[in-house]
Amino acid sequence: MTRYAMSIDLRRCVGCQTCTASCKGANATPPGIQWRRVLDIESGEFPDVRRSFLPIACMHCGDPPCEAVCPTEATTKRADGLVAIDYDLCIGCANCVMACPYDARSIVHEVRYAYGDAPMASEAKRFDPGRIGVSMKCSFCKDRIDHAARTGQKPGVDPEVTPACVNSCISGAMAFGDLDDADSGISRLLAETQHFRMHEELGTAPGVYYIWDKS
Amino acid sequence: MEAVPPKSIKRVPSYCYNCVSGPDLMKVKVVDGVATEIEPNFDAAEVHPAKGKVCVKAYGLVQKTYNPNRVRTPMKRTNPKKGRNEDPGFVPISWDEALDIVAAKLKAVKAKGLIDDAGLPRVAVSLGHGGTPSNYMGTFPAFLQAWGPVDFSFGSGQGVKCVHSEHLYGEFWHRAFTVAADTPNCRYNIAVGANVDVTGGPCAVIRHADARVRGYKRVQVEPHLTATGACSAEWVPIRPKTDPAFLFALIHVLVRENGLAKLDVPFLRDRTASPYLIGPGGLYLRDADSGKPLVWDEASARAVPHDTQGAVPAVAGSFRVARAVTVDADKERVEHVEVEGVTAYEMLARHIEKYSPEWAEGVCDVKADTIRRIANEYLEAASIGETIVIDGKTLPLRPVAVTLGKSVNNGWGAYECCWARTVLAALVGALENPGGLLGTTVRLNKTRDNRHLSVAPGEDGFMVQYFNPTSKEEWQFQPSTRNLHQTLVPIVGHNGAWSQALGPTQLAWMFQGERPDDWSMPMPTLPEVWLVYRSNPSISFWDTRHLADIAAKFPFMACFAYTVDETNYMADVLLPEATDLESEQMIRMGGTKYMEQFWDHKGVVLRGKAVEPQGEARDFTWITTELAKRTGLLESYVKAVNKGVAGVAPLKGEGYDFSLSGEPSPEQIWDSVCKAATFTISEGREQHGLDWYREHGFYTVPMSRLEWYLTPTMEQHGLRYELPYQERLLRAGRELGRRLHEKQMNWWDEQLAEYQALPEWHDVPGRWIHNLEKAGAKAADFPFWLLTTKSMQYHAGGNAAIAVMDEVAQNLRGHAGVIINAKTAAGLGIAEGDRIEVRSHIGVTRGKASLAHGVRPDTLVIMGQFDHWATPYAKGMEAPSLNTIAPMSLDLTDATGSGADIVRVAVRKLEEAKAA
Amino acid sequence: MKPATLRAAQLAAPKQQRNWDWRAAANFICGGAGGGLLLFAAFAGFGRGATLASLLAGMALIGTGLTCVWFEIGRPWRALNVYRHIASSWMTREAVVALAVFGCGALAVLTGSVVAAVFAGICGGAFLYSQARILAANKGIPAWRHPASVPLLVATGLAEGATLALAIGALAGAVIGVGLVVAALILVLVRAWAWWRYRAGLGSTGAPEAALRVLDGFAPRLLWLGTVLPALALLALLFGMPGLGPVLLLVVLLAAGTGAWLKYTLVRRAAFTQGLAIDHIPVRGRGPAGPAVKPGWKPASQG
Repeated sequence: MTRYAMSIDLRRCVGCQTCTASCKGANATPPGIQWRRVLDIESGEFPDVRRSFLPIACMHCGDPPCEAVCPTEATTKRADGLVAIDYDLCIGCANCVMACPYDARSIVHEVRYAYGDAPMASEAKRFDPGRIGVSMKCSFCKDRIDHAARTGQKPGVDPEVTPACVNSCISGAMAFGDLDDADSGISRLLAETQHFRMHEELGTAPGVYYIWDKS
Repeated sequence: MEAVPPKSIKRVPSYCYNCVSGPDLMKVKVVDGVATEIEPNFDAAEVHPAKGKVCVKAYGLVQKTYNPNRVRTPMKRTNPKKGRNEDPGFVPISWDEALDIVAAKLKAVKAKGLIDDAGLPRVAVSLGHGGTPSNYMGTFPAFLQAWGPVDFSFGSGQGVKCVHSEHLYGEFWHRAFTVAADTPNCRYNIAVGANVDVTGGPCAVIRHADARVRGYKRVQVEPHLTATGACSAEWVPIRPKTDPAFLFALIHVLVRENGLAKLDVPFLRDRTASPYLIGPGGLYLRDADSGKPLVWDEASARAVPHDTQGAVPAVAGSFRVARAVTVDADKERVEHVEVEGVTAYEMLARHIEKYSPEWAEGVCDVKADTIRRIANEYLEAASIGETIVIDGKTLPLRPVAVTLGKSVNNGWGAYECCWARTVLAALVGALENPGGLLGTTVRLNKTRDNRHLSVAPGEDGFMVQYFNPTSKEEWQFQPSTRNLHQTLVPIVGHNGAWSQALGPTQLAWMFQGERPDDWSMPMPTLPEVWLVYRSNPSISFWDTRHLADIAAKFPFMACFAYTVDETNYMADVLLPEATDLESEQMIRMGGTKYMEQFWDHKGVVLRGKAVEPQGEARDFTWITTELAKRTGLLESYVKAVNKGVAGVAPLKGEGYDFSLSGEPSPEQIWDSVCKAATFTISEGREQHGLDWYREHGFYTVPMSRLEWYLTPTMEQHGLRYELPYQERLLRAGRELGRRLHEKQMNWWDEQLAEYQALPEWHDVPGRWIHNLEKAGAKAADFPFWLLTTKSMQYHAGGNAAIAVMDEVAQNLRGHAGVIINAKTAAGLGIAEGDRIEVRSHIGVTRGKASLAHGVRPDTLVIMGQFDHWATPYAKGMEAPSLNTIAPMSLDLTDATGSGADIVRVAVRKLEEAKAA
Repeated sequence: MKPATLRAAQLAAPKQQRNWDWRAAANFICGGAGGGLLLFAAFAGFGRGATLASLLAGMALIGTGLTCVWFEIGRPWRALNVYRHIASSWMTREAVVALAVFGCGALAVLTGSVVAAVFAGICGGAFLYSQARILAANKGIPAWRHPASVPLLVATGLAEGATLALAIGALAGAVIGVGLVVAALILVLVRAWAWWRYRAGLGSTGAPEAALRVLDGFAPRLLWLGTVLPALALLALLFGMPGLGPVLLLVVLLAAGTGAWLKYTLVRRAAFTQGLAIDHIPVRGRGPAGPAVKPGWKPASQG
């Protein structure tokens, strides 16, 4: 079996939003829509203040609440652990948006461009009317993972088949790979570190691991 | 992802150099001729310290290319009146017309002479941030070389708002145009405002991330908790501009509380001037015959010249010297008999006694215990005695560094800070040794590509220096530039093209308006032709509204323009150049360079042309060649290209000849540059042309990590670092003072006081308070400090007009707003997102409140500089800027000519109606 | 998501959901009341006219709610895809039940079949229950996912149904049985009990502070306008106070109106997302790890 997952080393993240921007580029998301972003969280009071950076996106849950509520089966959990959306089935009811405890999903109802009403060449080239009015989210760069299945490349090892955010991360905070493979980079990294999964108490079995210390 | 299956996909290797921390490597994904994505260049993962990755800014380059607000055709102004309220009435014109207009102006200048009656260049050129424009302007440097004298005085902040004192003193002390920790080996980093995780680019970010995981400790000392502070082990919220006091107290703990025995005595003895004996007048006691500074030889118990073989110089103590001379300003020589000589280290120890942590606590608002603990942790982490083997050579390992950030290492107090942190490194032997404090590269000294080659024996056992002369015979009373760099700033030197750009550029702007009453030099003139590229001083300098008014008076201005902006709003001609993804250029990469580009390789990289230019935008090299042709400079321009002025290497050298003649096309030029570059870098082994680079992107050869460290080179030359005592600076200041006073000028006297052998604390923040009081305002009316901080999303890319950068930047606190302490805000009735007004004694800026606990209660912070009023998109951000309300003032200019981004302000909530 | 201009400081905290607007709220308001009404139409023991009127009103309410939703979804012309996931989606189940509601209801209206009316009533109840489960299945909204939200929504729908049935019965001239009045009274009280049970439950599990603020702001309205006053009016009815019509109208306005208000509050105003959290502030070099941070949350048992 394969269980693709992501780890994010919070010790490394500097909140630079390179992953945010690279995701926007790789997935041609419209203005205001970020399939992933890095949150800037402050806690404590002056002068005892901590500021943390928390990258968030779809957690590709093992038990995805979005999948359970989806009335159309547009959202599915794949055998390799990815939670996918079939834009052609989705009716845009937003039930999955409500079900997701990670603010991961969004629906765009109207066409939007970066500069006013007309698309730039780069936007026109990649505009997909099929994504209007339907639920969208981080796909773990599904096309790349699917490509790997055809070519035999390894996601998380070969950049061509690794999610754009992971490739782009300049602090080396992100790793991606198969949790069911004990020798994968991510498995080894998780074995030697302490980590948590967000809102695990909700029973979602998230596929994103946040590293916060060595073991 | 594309909705429609593409016909063709290609990936064009290139680089991003939008900020000084470049170049970083990337690929541009091009689908059916349209650039759609930026990706890392993993082909470079093994050679590039950041593994072939670029930072967030690069991901805005696709939008930068297709931004509909771009200037797409050459334009000329139709409204002869210039000013913020005068619509320039730009109308499209042909390239022929545009180039002819500019060329005609240049030819007219040439006919009159390149230098005007005031002795100043008739042509001024302003280039933006930190030398980055040269990575995009193709062969333009060759044109400038062919042209002759040009005034770079009208900067957009460089020379003033850069890490200016660090540039000047860093190069002076250890050939460090900028200074970094040896992060991969460092265990303890005191970062005083050094915001490397924001400004250091991917190379710095990965190095520090690795260091965190490895377990180093970074203590961030700054009034506002930046992203770098967030990622540090400890935050010390210091009162703004009191950093020298903090650093002095660290030295105090090392020297007075721990003592010499715990310091790196061999380093101090052999690699610094600590043993040099100081005599009357604060001058070195010198050997009467050779003029060499004396040291006290413990072996023979007598004073001997510093380079005496077999001598064991005493580091501490004072000694009776039988016979010596001192040499003061203007070579005034005094003979001394039976004179007391105090070692430079001893002078330091006496000097620093009063700067205890308890004293500093009152100045810095940092607990004495905290200061003492940090100093002791630093000393312990220095692990004096430990060694490391690098490429087979055993070197000291001193894994501690004090790094400084902007506004700490520029403006008043910066000399003190730069001195103190370099002394802190020297005391533990961490200066230019593994793990310690390293210079990155040189810009004020040649050669740019190898700082080790700039190290040669100079005076007094130190490195050679190229100060601007202050002697009676040579001092430049008639300034050769409008920023007076050779006249006023000896240390900025004259050993390369960068010196004049690092002069006090605000003086060029200020003195176009008012001059001091006792000004006796020739009156500064306006440049007849002003060329501007990637520079927007009307936004990025201070008192920007006033600055724009001055710019409006310039008689002729041609701007290489991306969009209309606040500076080119006053232009006569706009020339749209092919931007980042639209043209080719080859530059050097690798080696060591700011901010933390420390490579194990060196080589060259091609900026690939991924897509055709938008509209009528043209390749900068084409524009340059045309200008050269139309101004009759083609031959000398091509000669300059052949000399390698446009980049990397001469086109002709031993064993190769790719030199050009006639009117070469951009392709021919870069093909030759590619071949010459590969040939020289590979030492003749390889030779690749433009086509090869278009496919492969870059070429490197391995480099030893030993090149990161200067101390072995110093050792090889038998040289000492000019620390801790600044006799040379003392003398230079005295001489400069004499020259100015001889010409009845006293307006630089405040600055002259900075030339101290051992810097004393002076009320640095108080200078800003006195400044507003002098202007007639009441200090009590402006109870807060306003500072600025950088944004990685925007920093130096001139990309305030890029929508996606604006969007992703909003995920971070404080963007396009005013950061204010949450409790302070509550007391003022200000809530998150409220429109507020920040007022200084010269103006007002408005923005939304961004509440935070990670900022001192007495301090406000504005991120970036986005008070745009002409730049499309950016002008809709309604963002505040410190620059609008920070004064440009001689009072706030230090001896190096720099100032700092800080101003006293008041803040209040705007009523909704007024806000709208 | 519809365009929102959230500030960085607010991004991690729970946010009011922006995807289900008044149209979605209308589905819960009308659909729940309609479902409840159908149930009482079937079992109130009305005569044919009042039953017919109640059935029609119940179906109209459900139809109105679903129409509103149809206008809200992103791809209305693919709406039939809603039937693809009965295995776990309560929205699919709601849609299936809606078909049954209209089938049985139409049959009852057209044929006057009591059996059909009873089935319509049962389906109405099932519709109401489905809606409650739709909300509760949303793990992203703490104020919804609490299990006590199901009885609250069901009780609300039933209270609305009972009071609406009273009103329609009265308007249609049907004989109002004491049982219905008692049922309405009990349901109004049960609803209040369900509310406080739900609120206490949220307090013990923890919830976004903003959601609790909204709910606590609404509580007095539910108590006085939605419970005490209608209960008094219903008691008055029971004890034969004259002026039945206006009293009934008041009961309906108050009981059903606060029900609608409650659901609008729950679906829109108190619908704050889970928000994002850090279980451990990371180690930064030699800087120690820090405690969990959950912006915008009131810890469990402090609510």
